[in-house]
Amino acid sequence: MELKPNNLIKAVQETVFIIMVACVLAVCSNFLRNNGIPFMQDWSAKNRLPDESGQNRIISLEGAIRMYEQRDAVFVDARSEHQFNKGHIKDALSLPWHQVDERFMEIADRLENRKAVITYCDGESCSLSHDLAQFLEEMGFENVYVLVNGWTLWRKAGLPTQKEERSNEYE
Amino acid sequence: MNMSKLSFDKTGFLIARILMGGVFVYASYDKILHPRAFAEAVYNYQILPDAMINATALALPWIELIAGACLIAGVWLPGASLVTTLLMASFAGALVFNQIRGLDVHCGCFSTQTTHGEPSGIWTLVRDICFLALCLYLLVRTVFSQNPIQRIKS
Repeated sequence: MELKPNNLIKAVQETVFIIMVACVLAVCSNFLRNNGIPFMQDWSAKNRLPDESGQNRIISLEGAIRMYEQRDAVFVDARSEHQFNKGHIKDALSLPWHQVDERFMEIADRLENRKAVITYCDGESCSLSHDLAQFLEEMGFENVYVLVNGWTLWRKAGLPTQKEERSNEYE
Repeated sequence: MNMSKLSFDKTGFLIARILMGGVFVYASYDKILHPRAFAEAVYNYQILPDAMINATALALPWIELIAGACLIAGVWLPGASLVTTLLMASFAGALVFNQIRGLDVHCGCFSTQTTHGEPSGIWTLVRDICFLALCLYLLVRTVFSQNPIQRIKS
């Protein structure tokens, strides 16, 4: 087997050509279609996480603490059960987003008597809590908020946390 | 090269390029239809800077479509093989990178409807590595050895 320089040059030329044609088609189709997207956009949490009506469902750490102290809100952890068991906001419920369909009924009745539901996961870019908040709204819950980067913010602020062997040990 | 080996070689090459062409065309379809959802999938990988996410989400499916169509049609084979190999290497690399840092992301490989179910795991990576091996085979056949058509004729 030997490298043919001409073949390699041809491959690179064709690669550039394929990419250029693709870019032209991408730009043209994006202009012509109804559901086009901007070429650049702000991917910060505030812009990424509006609810169905376009309202921002993000709650600040201060707002979340206030609701926590007044016991107005129930916190729902969207991370995996393993991560939840390693540590979570004190009294939070576990509803891992990846098992939401199977496990929603386990906690549904414990969400009903609260004024608000606050979902959280970990990391500025984590979208599990947003997906979970949207799901809960679709299930009919009102006042559903997202505490972006919730676990890290809560822990760093020295607020009450707990670890446990089993999840959903609430009250 | 005897006739049976030649025929096996030719058939193998044909199957590999049709299969990979089909995979890339199939993979592009849903992403082209749902650019916003695919941009979110790209964002979730947490690899590209924000400024490049939408442009990548717009261009990548078209690159997949054209490269896949070229593989199926048998035109610009060296270029299409190089493009698909680079893409598969990037996809596999991104999966490995996120596995190592423990980020659970949905791969967004064939569908942008990725909000439910388990995130991509080791089997997604194994599948990508198999596809990468096929792409490398196509690249070797079209770039690093004789043109298959010349080879068959010789």
